[in-house]
Amino acid sequence: MYSNPNIPEDINTSKEHPLKEFSVLLIGALVLLVTATIVLGFLGGWLAGKIPFSVEVKITNLYEVPEKEVSSQQQKVQVYLQNLADKIQKTQQMPAEMKITVHYLSGDTLNAFATLGGHVILYRGLLEKMSSENALTMLLAHEIAHVKYRHPIKSLGRGVAASIAISAISGSVDSTALGEAGLLTTLKYTREMEQQSDVEAMHTLNTIYGHIGGGSDLFKEFQKMRDKEDMPEAPAFLSSHPLDQDRIDHFETIANKQHWKLTGKLTPLPAVFNSITHH
Amino acid sequence: MEQIIITLVLISLGYFFGRHAEKRHYKSIIQREQTMNALPAIASRIPPSDGYYQQTLVSGNVVIANDYFKTFAAGLRNLFGGKVSSYESLLDRGRREALLRMKKEAQDLNAQLVFNVKYETASISKGNNNKMPMIEVLAYGTALNKI
Repeated sequence: MYSNPNIPEDINTSKEHPLKEFSVLLIGALVLLVTATIVLGFLGGWLAGKIPFSVEVKITNLYEVPEKEVSSQQQKVQVYLQNLADKIQKTQQMPAEMKITVHYLSGDTLNAFATLGGHVILYRGLLEKMSSENALTMLLAHEIAHVKYRHPIKSLGRGVAASIAISAISGSVDSTALGEAGLLTTLKYTREMEQQSDVEAMHTLNTIYGHIGGGSDLFKEFQKMRDKEDMPEAPAFLSSHPLDQDRIDHFETIANKQHWKLTGKLTPLPAVFNSITHH
Repeated sequence: MEQIIITLVLISLGYFFGRHAEKRHYKSIIQREQTMNALPAIASRIPPSDGYYQQTLVSGNVVIANDYFKTFAAGLRNLFGGKVSSYESLLDRGRREALLRMKKEAQDLNAQLVFNVKYETASISKGNNNKMPMIEVLAYGTALNKI
């Protein structure tokens, strides 16, 4: 009268292998994440580029760092670097309201970078590696070109938009790991930005000295440093700076195209500079 | 980067242990269902009219947690929509296990039939995003003993 039949096994549950569905979904999610990061990042960078430079300066002034006590030697280097920066700025025909402020830091860090508000930070560690004023000009002109083309604010806009995209997607999946995978696609400056700055810096070098000799010393120095530290270069895809060898090759290609002289008389660095950097 | 590695390890652990546990559970469910078939449980609200019966409330309750792999897969599914197959087997197991436990109670009472059987489900982890999803399934009905 009453009975319970055996429950059939394929009605309420799916017989498909769980890994199949999982891999399709995971690939889909990663594609979505990367696309959203790139598209939103691009839009964010484009919009940020529309922010007037005066606003950028106002924002950075809120975070003004108090000047530290520095020796007179350091002050002299600072003045020298600032004067060089001013000369480069004029050569690059930057709008007058774009004021470049050079900050010389006595740390050992092998780094130099341009940041929001036209601030260019140079570390003694990297300055010590400069073989001539020409190489230094190449470095400084490269960083100043970043400011000229609004790269710091553009990359900030890109980063913010991209991280919003990432957190929206990884939040809905409830996974921070997916967010980290998305972060791999956002780098500080794009390779296009670096190349644009390289070309601008070469242009500056040629205008000031009449040749671009010493300019590629900078990249060769980077290559040497990497060899010494036994630090393999990250694959070009992941690294924001183009590979050193690519940069050296690119440097020569551009020079040939523009008929710039690759060699010429190098200007030595001033004595005050050497006194502080070569202990 | 470490976050990615940790998640991958958790997903694979969840996959292997979760799948193993599910297979074992299904095996046990199917086997017990076959032996319990002698005691029918039906949804009808009308009791049999062929005599007098002692009526007792019987219930079976089960709580099952999801594994990391299934939770992650369901999260991915959240992006695109569609059938969340990774949760289907979890709920299927929950319902069948709850019914079996209810039948076990009725069997211990030497009942001949359980009628008016109903299910209730609840999410224990409800609203807490940091917790693995956990479900409770309750099956209850009226067991009949012929007097």
